[in-house]
Amino acid sequence: MTEPIIEIIDLKKSFGDNHVLKGISMKVFPQEVVTIIGASGSGKSTLLRCLNHLNMPDGGKILFQGHDINDKDIDINAVRTQMNMVFQSFNLFMHLTAKRNIALALIKVKKMGKAEAEQRAMEALDKVGLSDKADAYPGELSGGQQQRVAIARAMAMDPKVILFDEPTSALDPELIGEVLDVMKKLATSGMTMVVVTHEMGFAREMADKVIFMDQGVIAEQGTPEDLFVNPQNPRTKVFLRRILKEVGAMDPGIPSDFVPNGNGVHDKP
Amino acid sequence: MVMTIDWTIIPDYLPVFFKGLETTLLISAISILIGFVGGILIGMCRISRNPLVYGISSVYVEAFRGTPLLIQIFLVYLGLPQLGIYIESPLVAGLIALSLNSAAYQSEIFRGGVQSISVGQIEAARSLGMTYNQALFNVVIPQAIRNALPPYTNEFITMIKDSSLVMTIGVLELTLRGKLISATTGQSIPVLLFVAVLYFTLTFSTSRILRYVEKRFAIPGMIGSDQK
Ligand SMILES: Nc1ncnc2c1ncn2[C@@H]1O[C@H](COP(=O)(O)OP(=O)(O)O)[C@@H](O)[C@H]1O
Ligand SMILES: [Mg+2]
Repeated sequence: MTEPIIEIIDLKKSFGDNHVLKGISMKVFPQEVVTIIGASGSGKSTLLRCLNHLNMPDGGKILFQGHDINDKDIDINAVRTQMNMVFQSFNLFMHLTAKRNIALALIKVKKMGKAEAEQRAMEALDKVGLSDKADAYPGELSGGQQQRVAIARAMAMDPKVILFDEPTSALDPELIGEVLDVMKKLATSGMTMVVVTHEMGFAREMADKVIFMDQGVIAEQGTPEDLFVNPQNPRTKVFLRRILKEVGAMDPGIPSDFVPNGNGVHDKP
Repeated sequence: MVMTIDWTIIPDYLPVFFKGLETTLLISAISILIGFVGGILIGMCRISRNPLVYGISSVYVEAFRGTPLLIQIFLVYLGLPQLGIYIESPLVAGLIALSLNSAAYQSEIFRGGVQSISVGQIEAARSLGMTYNQALFNVVIPQAIRNALPPYTNEFITMIKDSSLVMTIGVLELTLRGKLISATTGQSIPVLLFVAVLYFTLTFSTSRILRYVEKRFAIPGMIGSDQK
């Protein structure tokens, strides 16, 4: 029986009176792709950010490879090196070229020499199809290209898990595909991924497990088929109906059987 | 009594003018440099979440911004001896006062530069495992200084001009030399105009050099960089 890479136990987080996470428990196993869906404000970003300690949890536990990351003996920077994050807004270092964006952490954190780091950066850029943009600055790249560099930057660290927080939400529709393709390739290569997304096509095709978050709790989880075709929780149904109506028309990844209980996208002509 | 304007005293006194110019250049350069480094340190304190660090640095900045530089110069040269701290050289006293003052202004310039950088970049650096200091030195500071070059240029030019205030404690810099030459020769107009031209040469070169630096280090694809 394999051990989970990440185990979250009763995680709680509040901002003042706003109880954002009200006891989240979940596991992520090696090579798994877990997607998290849910309405805006339901706490998805906060959950990912707690995993990286960009937000500090108020209660509960996060075990990374069996170790409580809140433990005094655990170096959070070492944990982060193995659990990188890809952000909605790319967050590339604006003053560095694509290549140096990737090389920086390799040099500073992994203590690689400059030449080795840059070679590793070039390999990562090659994997996301951007070798020819190695010397371009973020400001000279499209949003889709920037996000691919950000993914390459995370990949180059050779992490155990990559966390994606709505990686395509800031992109023009015509740029979403290239980023999803890179993510699919990454998933196929066996990378463990936790992906907050509204791309139901990606979730259906790639996810081993889909988690529906609602008002700070996990309202439902299961395989894509469980969740999308036979949702049990009425709130899941409402959410899916709404999201499929919004994006369904543009998302070729959603086939017609992809309609919760037969009354989703098609209930209006 | 009206004196005819005699420009020939300029070449006559040229070595004296240049000695003054040298001192002015030295004082301004050193206090700008110390102010720059000090400004980064104080600026970092001003964005600290530690209330004590934030509080002390804020009092410092407000005190030095809110009082006349001339009083600060007097306090260092004339006030400190009363506390038993003697600074023999007026030049050193002047340097201390100018540096402390410039550090206050430059800390605000640096802080503005830091605030122009998105928190997201810092979070990305941290999420890759970089420490706070690594993120600061490799991501924040290089961009903060670049973004703040125009206000830095202003401050450097101001420092060059305000360095003339140390003449009041007897530092033989450009303005004091000029004043002495003018008193000796009675040729106020040529002397003062020539002093003004020398200051302008310094400030104008500073602004051209920094403009060059700005262009040279502009980040491609960002506002202010030259579009192809
Ligand atoms: N740093 C913060 N300070 C205060 N409130 C926050 C902060 N970050 C998130 N929140 C609040 O937490 C709630 C959940 O936010 P978030 O996790 O971003 O949701 P989601 O990613 O699902 O849209 C929202 O009500 C949001 O306003
Ligand atoms: Mg979010």
